[in-house]
Amino acid sequence: MSGAAGHEAVVTDSVSDHRSTTSRWLNPYLLIFVGALLNTAGELLLKKGADSVADQGGVAAVIGLTPLLSAWTWGGILSYIASMVSWLYVLRTVPLSIAFPLINVVHVLVPLGASIVLHEHVSLRRWTGITLILMGVIAIMKPVAKAEEKL
Amino acid sequence: MTPLAIFLCILAQLFLVAGQLFFKRAMNEATPMPGSRKLGILSIGIACQTVWFFLWLRLLQKWDLSRVFPFEGLDPLLLVLAAWLVLRERLTVATWVGVGLISAGIVVVAT
Repeated sequence: MSGAAGHEAVVTDSVSDHRSTTSRWLNPYLLIFVGALLNTAGELLLKKGADSVADQGGVAAVIGLTPLLSAWTWGGILSYIASMVSWLYVLRTVPLSIAFPLINVVHVLVPLGASIVLHEHVSLRRWTGITLILMGVIAIMKPVAKAEEKL
Repeated sequence: MTPLAIFLCILAQLFLVAGQLFFKRAMNEATPMPGSRKLGILSIGIACQTVWFFLWLRLLQKWDLSRVFPFEGLDPLLLVLAAWLVLRERLTVATWVGVGLISAGIVVVAT
């Protein structure tokens, strides 16, 4: 995994000391998955918010604003914003060609959350696709994890 | 789906990918830049993502989600290709294998 590891090393050398210490505490690869969890939580909260408000008709309902009356929705929005901030932080050091495939783990987490938290039905076909995505994420993550251990 | 709809679906993904390229360009620690320039490039990225969002919303209005969503499977492929060509990031075999699996998985989930 010379690509990601090499890039990482160059980056750590070029930044000032305090930055490299914070990045040791806030591992960007870990942060990708924290961001994915925040994004998933946001998605589930928005769904909760949208469901919790009765459809009363009127202009606000037509343009989809009534869910804003629910605290769930605001929780979802905050969660989304937090995931966006963490994403931008990740992009400071992680190559895009590594970070973006990994963030696709949301396609695994969202159906998993929908199934566990919201008790939605997920078909066998979907679970097959979800497994493929997970395998892809692991394929990319494994060499990166090895390179991280060496640092 | 009409050829125009397919074209628009792909165009939407290109805007999404372009947005990510601008985000990376602005945030990258390896290429530091003044704050104002950073903010400018970030804004272009946000503009790209906004175009993607409304284009996507419009497509979802006209077509079933199961028709439109598989195009999101293109994202990892297009993005890694763009990161390679535009940002000159070095790719490994593991990345290509992973991206292939993820893209295939998204298409299976979506259809």
